[in-house]
Amino acid sequence: MRRASIATVYLAAAVAGSSPAVLASSGADIQGVAQVGGKPQANVVVWVDVPGALTRADSKPVLDQRNFDFNPRVLAVQVGSVVEFPNHDRVFHNVFSFHDGKKFDLGLYPTGTMKLVTFDKPGLSRIFCNIHPHMVAYVMAVASPYFAVSDEAGRFTIRDVPPGNHPYQAWRSGGSTIGGTASSNSETVLAVRWP
Amino acid sequence: MALKYLGSALLIVLWTGVGPVSAQTATTELDVTVGHSTDQVEAASSQVRIFGDAIAGWRYYFEGTWAQTWGPTSDAFGSAYPYDKRVHPMEMYGEKTSQFGPYVAGVRVGRYRTPFGIYSRTDHAYNGLLRAPLIRYGAYWALSNNFLEGGASVIAGVPRLFAEASLGVPQDEDLHSRRHGLDRVVRVQGAVGSIIVGASHIRTLPSEARAFARGRAEFTGVDVRWMHEGVQLRGEWIDGRPFNGTRTFGGYVDAFVHRPVMGPVTAVLRAERLDYLAGRASSFPRRYIAGARIRLSTMLVGQVNAVHEYGYRGRLANSALDLAFTFSTRH
Repeated sequence: MRRASIATVYLAAAVAGSSPAVLASSGADIQGVAQVGGKPQANVVVWVDVPGALTRADSKPVLDQRNFDFNPRVLAVQVGSVVEFPNHDRVFHNVFSFHDGKKFDLGLYPTGTMKLVTFDKPGLSRIFCNIHPHMVAYVMAVASPYFAVSDEAGRFTIRDVPPGNHPYQAWRSGGSTIGGTASSNSETVLAVRWP
Repeated sequence: MALKYLGSALLIVLWTGVGPVSAQTATTELDVTVGHSTDQVEAASSQVRIFGDAIAGWRYYFEGTWAQTWGPTSDAFGSAYPYDKRVHPMEMYGEKTSQFGPYVAGVRVGRYRTPFGIYSRTDHAYNGLLRAPLIRYGAYWALSNNFLEGGASVIAGVPRLFAEASLGVPQDEDLHSRRHGLDRVVRVQGAVGSIIVGASHIRTLPSEARAFARGRAEFTGVDVRWMHEGVQLRGEWIDGRPFNGTRTFGGYVDAFVHRPVMGPVTAVLRAERLDYLAGRASSFPRRYIAGARIRLSTMLVGQVNAVHEYGYRGRLANSALDLAFTFSTRH
């Protein structure tokens, strides 16, 4: 179930100056399942707080606009990430976020183009389209490179977590944020449960 | 008429061709609207849409509508659908859009709204304004938001500057449907910063009987949209002739204001004019609308419009209050 633990190696301060230090190598994976009322829950964001965690190097998050919807419905990113918002419909969309979290309004832009938003502080941003009211998405910015979003079966895998016990938090749409302790030393499946 | 159900046939072909490993998706939407106007008009409508990915990058779209009004003849609530107590198939098409490096190209085949100016369903339907622009209502001697083409439309260019051309036959779902014949529509659209500008031209057949309306209908229009920080301004100006010996020109300017402090409320404003020049039958209506769209919940939207209009031939100035609630769900 659990992959071999490998010492986590950081390229801490590898580059002097303002360039962010990058998380370069792997620890262990934390695998888990999210449930609400005993049933699998998709689109749950689970993240592990690790003091001193660095930036994940391979992150290039995208929130696509296609078929009058956002894809994915729930996107988790690390604070500081630049999210791409491409429009792949022939109609215009007007993406905005006016609630908590990052506030922005991208205006109208045509098919084949994209806009960028930097999520520079932790928290939930609720994303809407002002033209198509059915379009709703959530971007959860977390101050950790160790996060995952559950799939349709409620399963998630948080990759390359440094060895040890770490506090975790979990969020889902319409529910409260819950937390606990997750171990990357154990082969136990982390169960994230709402009543 | 042979092409009337071309769109459905295409959808069936696409649907039955879907294999087990395809990227098939299907989203279903249902809208139900009820409305009341102090013009003594009551309205109810529903629309069903099914759309998604088919195969090989093709997408499909189907929409059907039923709508009815009770009371005197009025354009209230007729922003994007016919209100005539009948079930209508609306748009039914397959489309594919691709990017090749910096270039974008696309094709749409089936039955689709006439690609002239600001024309998509969501540009006009229940967006906070409950009446179609005068220049886009079938009874007012210009174009109609219920004009549909049966044929093919292609786009080509780069995302910020492309041309669209449509060749087909009219398949309108309007009380003033066009006569049958070949339709040609061309449109060019460019985007610079927050400004989107388009120019369109249509050459088609008139809505009226041949004995009354000679020649072809021909219109040219320009449209502009601008958006910044929750404020959208848009407008169209259209000039042309519905048939020989007449001229119709006019346009509208809309404002949609949705600032963070406004929460679920979007303020809407419209100012518009239409000049129909036809001798003693000429008419010069003007209309102003102020209102709001209020998102009451994720599935329920309220819309209210205060309307003042004048200048119609044979009608007094009129003020009205339109109110509607739209329930929407998606699966």
